[in-house]
Amino acid sequence: MTRLDRVEEGLAEARASIREAIRSMNYTSEKPEYFIPKGSIYRNPHAFHQSHIEMVKRFKVWVYEEGEKPIVHDGPLNNIYAIEGQFIDEMENSIGNNPFKARHPNEAHVFYLPISVANVVRYVYEPIMSKKDYYRDRLQCLVEDYVGVIAHKYPYWNKTNDLQEGELIHGDNFNLFAAMSAVEIMDPKMDSGIVSTYYSLDEAIENGAAPVPISADKTTDVLCTIDIMDHLLACEATWHTGHSLAQTVYSCLYLLQPERTSSHALLHSYCKVTRATCNAVLSVVSDTRTHEEEDLFTMTYDLPLSEDRDERCLSMLNAVEETISRQLRACKVSSSKRRVSEDIETLQSNPDLEEGYCKALLCRLRFRKHFYHLLMSMKRPQGRGLELARKHVASCIVEIDHIRKSSEFLRASAQEMSKQNIDNTTASGCQPIGFDASLNSRLSAPTPPRAIKILCWEKALDYYMKLLQDLDIICSYSLDPSLEAAFLFVVKFQKSQPDLVSRAHLQLLLVQDGKLYGRDPIFSVITKAAGLPEGTKNHDIQKNQFMVQLGQLVINLLKILCTNAAWQRRKLGKMLQDWRVTSVQLELAFKEFIEASNSPGTENVCFKIFQHTLAWVEEQTYWIASRFLILGFELELYTAHDYCMVYWYIYVVLIKLCEKKNLRMAMSIGAAKKKAKKKKDSSKDAGMDYQIPAAVLFLQSQMYLAEGLSMMFAALRNEHKVVPPQSPFSTEHEIFIQQFELLQKACLPDRVSYMSFKESTVHANFSTLAMCDYFKEAQRIAKEVKSSFANDPDKMAELRRIEQVAEHNSIALNVICRVGALDPSLNISFTFCHHPFFATAIVKRS
Amino acid sequence: METTTKEIDASEIEYVTYGGEHHLPLIMNLVDQELSEPYSIFTYRYFVYLWPQLSFLAFHNGKCVGTVVCKMGEHRNTFRGYIAMLVVINSYRGKGIATELVTRSIKMMMESGCEEVTLEAEVTNKGALALYSRLGFIRAKRLFHYYLNGVDAFRLKLLFPRPELHHLSDAPFEE
Repeated sequence: MTRLDRVEEGLAEARASIREAIRSMNYTSEKPEYFIPKGSIYRNPHAFHQSHIEMVKRFKVWVYEEGEKPIVHDGPLNNIYAIEGQFIDEMENSIGNNPFKARHPNEAHVFYLPISVANVVRYVYEPIMSKKDYYRDRLQCLVEDYVGVIAHKYPYWNKTNDLQEGELIHGDNFNLFAAMSAVEIMDPKMDSGIVSTYYSLDEAIENGAAPVPISADKTTDVLCTIDIMDHLLACEATWHTGHSLAQTVYSCLYLLQPERTSSHALLHSYCKVTRATCNAVLSVVSDTRTHEEEDLFTMTYDLPLSEDRDERCLSMLNAVEETISRQLRACKVSSSKRRVSEDIETLQSNPDLEEGYCKALLCRLRFRKHFYHLLMSMKRPQGRGLELARKHVASCIVEIDHIRKSSEFLRASAQEMSKQNIDNTTASGCQPIGFDASLNSRLSAPTPPRAIKILCWEKALDYYMKLLQDLDIICSYSLDPSLEAAFLFVVKFQKSQPDLVSRAHLQLLLVQDGKLYGRDPIFSVITKAAGLPEGTKNHDIQKNQFMVQLGQLVINLLKILCTNAAWQRRKLGKMLQDWRVTSVQLELAFKEFIEASNSPGTENVCFKIFQHTLAWVEEQTYWIASRFLILGFELELYTAHDYCMVYWYIYVVLIKLCEKKNLRMAMSIGAAKKKAKKKKDSSKDAGMDYQIPAAVLFLQSQMYLAEGLSMMFAALRNEHKVVPPQSPFSTEHEIFIQQFELLQKACLPDRVSYMSFKESTVHANFSTLAMCDYFKEAQRIAKEVKSSFANDPDKMAELRRIEQVAEHNSIALNVICRVGALDPSLNISFTFCHHPFFATAIVKRS
Repeated sequence: METTTKEIDASEIEYVTYGGEHHLPLIMNLVDQELSEPYSIFTYRYFVYLWPQLSFLAFHNGKCVGTVVCKMGEHRNTFRGYIAMLVVINSYRGKGIATELVTRSIKMMMESGCEEVTLEAEVTNKGALALYSRLGFIRAKRLFHYYLNGVDAFRLKLLFPRPELHHLSDAPFEE
């Protein structure tokens, strides 16, 4: 029997016992089995189990013995390249018997070349100085040499000759994800660990990369400390804008070994409070899960984050602040009286610079203190800390101003010793000591490195100013118990495009313990929003499963509104279906209730709750639909050729929203019997005893604007001014289906289709448009309804914008009609300068 | 040596389907030069070995000046084509080479029974966005910080017509 025969025989036995296990649904093993796999996760648990038993029993790896450490038979045992070293270590150094290690090549199933690519890079390639150092030629030579030796010496090399080039990817489980997960070591675009100065933190520290004290000269030491503080602040801002913590804040070597700085009170306290602050921000962002696509933000890779007790970090910071305040006072006294006060040790050695340095340090320390307090206050339940938080916001802003002003002094005093820092992440303009972004790149997942550019110092301060302003807006919110007010507040807040950190804090405030502001139970909030009397808010009907479901939807909606626009739109789109389903289920429950209770009077409480809630749910659903469509403009998802159908859809959604809102409001003011007309022109025939509420008129002005724009784009196309490009693969119909897929799936609105869009736009032309000018109508309503919103500056501003767009478009329409749409000198374009999503036409004649 | 490419006639460009391992370095070089995302050789092989009929190369006087790499398969109950990489070297742009390459792939996908085609493009890549828009793609989603360089992406989608839908609704409006 040859070697190969014996190996094949063993494999045949293994296959037979796997087949037997499948048949008998039982296993055979020489050892007791402690873990019996079961469940649907396995294609066949018995086959899987037996196959594992056979593998453990038979599988042998021959490790070639040729070659010398460290390139062969050795490899890294930690961080991202550890898999190589771990495997070599398991195979070669495992104490006792590794059952998988072949004692003789004749019994082996596979043959292993124990080369460590990571070690080749480390010992052959590094230091990498130029582009040429990335060429894989040397690596290739080494491997080829090794293979040459082995192939020459043993008969096993490439005996099976089975795997052809490119065949690997035909494996069942080799999908795109697997393909893309493979990272080529040595490729600087892909291998995040390749470009690093030091192998470990210890090595960096031994090399003096992060000395403590930073300098024996006290003046230099202070200046360098300030640079570290500034650069850390820039790193933190960069982290907030969506980069990994390890590559930004924790590129600071001083942060990585907390106890190392303990002899340097100033640096130590600053590092401590920075860690505690990062921890606080991190916990809010991960708790609120606003980061969704920004998940880089919350990965911490075991970095030393939370070893500090919060109280201690502040007491230490306070003590340092106290000392420097005294030093500042002392130097002022001594300079005015020209007398050196003996009892206080100065901050540094140059008396001329003492005051400037003290001040520069104080504002930085105080900023940290107030910022930390601010975060702590905002975390307090039910918004109880908001008032205090605002005071800390104000203090932070003052300190930032001081920090900015300190730049002039720091630049001047750093001049002679500075190595110019091109990125200017510090106020002095010096390169900070003790940072190495590449060190942690070996900690992060083995994915290609993400481009990180640390914000410059000025931009970092700007970032904090914006963050503070955004947090201030949140802190000054009145915690209005009306749900609609909360929705509108979030939507308005989002307009300034706040960053992740402030959005997370807003969400934390809005939803806590499943209650609005952690205070108002969701059912009571819904009854209030639906215009039900106060007495209904504790009604037992809240236990109805669909009411519970609705409560969950409201909470989810609040959370989704706090996410970034891209994520928000996708989530809102998906959510529409849930709202629609819930509304249908509520309607059914309502009907069942009516039947079961033998037509209760309309004064019945349950009847009222169902009726009002249902109307409110429908209104909300259309509100979400309109927000979904409008967000498309902000995200630039529509091209000019889509505008016609997009405005048309906005128009049909707004009709329904007006109708539902009108119905709901009519109900709550007790006018429910006069069912509002479904037609949008109900204003004309609603009679004298019912007036359309201002909130509905407000929406109507937008609705007319959308209708006008849709018709205008349709007329432009119909009269051949603007013809969309004809795709060889699809038609306008497919574009319509795709654009409004989620709305159509949820039947929003019912019976609206591409057909109805075509019907209403196919005959649009300028002469009829001018006759019934939707823009004029929009303008008229906006003007009329203004008086009702005198106390609402946001609505007033929107009405003014609507008026502007409507007026411009109305004029444009007239010009086009007068000149004739086909006139070649006519040049029509659109701009969003007056309104974020209603386009304004610009007509020029060349 | 810089060749003047202004006078290149469309007929001088030769298009070929992926023909084997000798094409692989050509594709890899082009993509590596022109696209921001890095791909390992496994990724390239995954595409070109499994769907060689969907990958095309454009040659001018024997020089590879453009390529498209694609896949197709089942995705959430739809049979979907996916355009993974599309590259034309800078000096050859604006001559319809990319459109021709991608059109060939899309045709193959359509003939193979795909219901739709998707891809991602950087929001800043105006040229690509215009090209795909002309072919009937819509911007279905925006993907926040999608690329390693921190830029957002648009997920673009092209839906092929389904015959049964069309004779119902389009006929009365055909011009």
